[in-house]
Amino acid sequence: MTRPYVPWLLLALALVLAAFYLFPLYWMYVTSLKTGSEIFANPPTFWPLAPDPSIYPAVWARRTMATFLGNSLFIASGVTAITVIFGTGCAYVLARYRSVWVDVGLFLILMLQVLPASVMITPLFVGFNQIGLLNFPREAVILAAAAKSMPFFVVLVRATFMSVPRELEEAALVDGNSRIGAFFSIVLPLARNGILVCAILTFMGSFGEYIYSKSIIQDPGLQPASVGLSGFLGPNSSDWNSIMAYSAIYVTPILAVFVLLQRRIVSGLTSGALK
Amino acid sequence: MSRFFNSLRDGVGFDLILVGAALLFLLALAGLPLVYNVLMSFQQVDMFTLGTLIRPWAGFSNYVAVVQQPEFWLVTKNTLIFVFASMGGQFILGFALAIFFAQKFPGASTIRGLFLVSWVMPGLVVGAIWSWILAGDFGVLNTVLKAVGLIDGTVFWKSDPAFSIWAVVIANIWLGLAFNMLLLSVGLAAIPRDLYEAAELDGANAFQRFWTITLPMMRSTIGAVLSLGLIGTLQQFDLFPAITEGGPANTSTVAGYWSWQMSFQLYDFAKGATISVMMFLLVLFASIIYVRSTRHEVRG
Repeated sequence: MTRPYVPWLLLALALVLAAFYLFPLYWMYVTSLKTGSEIFANPPTFWPLAPDPSIYPAVWARRTMATFLGNSLFIASGVTAITVIFGTGCAYVLARYRSVWVDVGLFLILMLQVLPASVMITPLFVGFNQIGLLNFPREAVILAAAAKSMPFFVVLVRATFMSVPRELEEAALVDGNSRIGAFFSIVLPLARNGILVCAILTFMGSFGEYIYSKSIIQDPGLQPASVGLSGFLGPNSSDWNSIMAYSAIYVTPILAVFVLLQRRIVSGLTSGALK
Repeated sequence: MSRFFNSLRDGVGFDLILVGAALLFLLALAGLPLVYNVLMSFQQVDMFTLGTLIRPWAGFSNYVAVVQQPEFWLVTKNTLIFVFASMGGQFILGFALAIFFAQKFPGASTIRGLFLVSWVMPGLVVGAIWSWILAGDFGVLNTVLKAVGLIDGTVFWKSDPAFSIWAVVIANIWLGLAFNMLLLSVGLAAIPRDLYEAAELDGANAFQRFWTITLPMMRSTIGAVLSLGLIGTLQQFDLFPAITEGGPANTSTVAGYWSWQMSFQLYDFAKGATISVMMFLLVLFASIIYVRSTRHEVRG
């Protein structure tokens, strides 16, 4: 290396780019700490003059965030459970064989992955209405959102299963294991990390689910946090420090989990089907 | 009978159950609604016939009615602006960042990973944050742009008909940029290093190396990224209710949001279904490109 300082220059530039890109997040936290009058200061202050976190408990209580976040948690857990249970087996079979039928199955799944939610929501709403599922709106949202997230899960987990050496499974079969036994005791444990990463991604995605919940769930006591947030959003909203405090409470857990698991998530994604 | 159960435990029946359960679930909750949607676009549907399956046949009258809506061409134009501007922004900035983070320097992959937080954030929260950044009088973007001298007056991003769709485009580029960067990084990493070394020995400059090695080697990745970008942009919904609600005067309404408004705000389910079928044709086109560009992956 003739120019040893170049990597450090690149690092500095990378930090600047990241700071620039992550500015909206910073702005969310800063705004939530500002007082009502400081928000409308012109020019805006880039650091709160008198940071005031008291808005957090106020928003938490006033917007009944405990209920909203509980519902988000319920919906996201349900979506993740259904996606993992149905999706893992499907991904395993699609990874194990190579035939025309596997191609057909994958093509079907890819096609279902591309359906926009706004295409699906009208027929789902009418269909759920006909079979009476609208009386259980949260469960209806879980079913709809699971169908939305499963294709992506299957494609990613399939790539994980592809990287499990087939010889190990065949050895287990030769040793007298049944297919079920080999699947649960050999293949699943080896693919565990990949499945876990994809499950976390599914959970994060459905924690922010909005369109199905907004259209299907009418009772405010059953709505998730995204719908609760939309209640005080709009072109004419002005209660910005409350909105940002609400957003901060909503996304901080997701961000924390993501930053903690960032390396695993990124490597899980890059090693897989995204190639 | 025991052979049947043996097959479930030990043979092809085991595989069929695993794949069949998932496919049945998907067909029931995604395939069936899709067919139903197409069916509904040819029927007369209103609040009173919502609960019945057999309704008066409408032929193409729903399609004619949608095209005759005064806002139809405006929405079409907005959809095209939204899709192509978002894709362009995400792809070009994403590619630039991917190339930058492919350089060797300490912390490159960790910092690149931080960019992905935008991807896991709920769309509605991203919309809320950008709605505040883009606010006319007190938004920080206007302040920054004025400080660097790019604009003189105040730009009312959300309420000026000339800018409202761009307000959503800006937020959407931020939201999708990181995912584009990640996919393109994967493609870049797959190019053998020695190709570059050989080209460098032959005296090719950085631009020539990019043009003759990087771009051709990444053709399939770029195809996949662009078609996924098209699909993802058409799927975008959450930003609209959070930033502009399609306003002012529909100047920021796109097909997906319009379809939802028809069904769930005007309760015109037939028109809502019709718009979404039209949109689905566009998605179908993108998917064909996507499947073609990932064919080597599908065949595995």
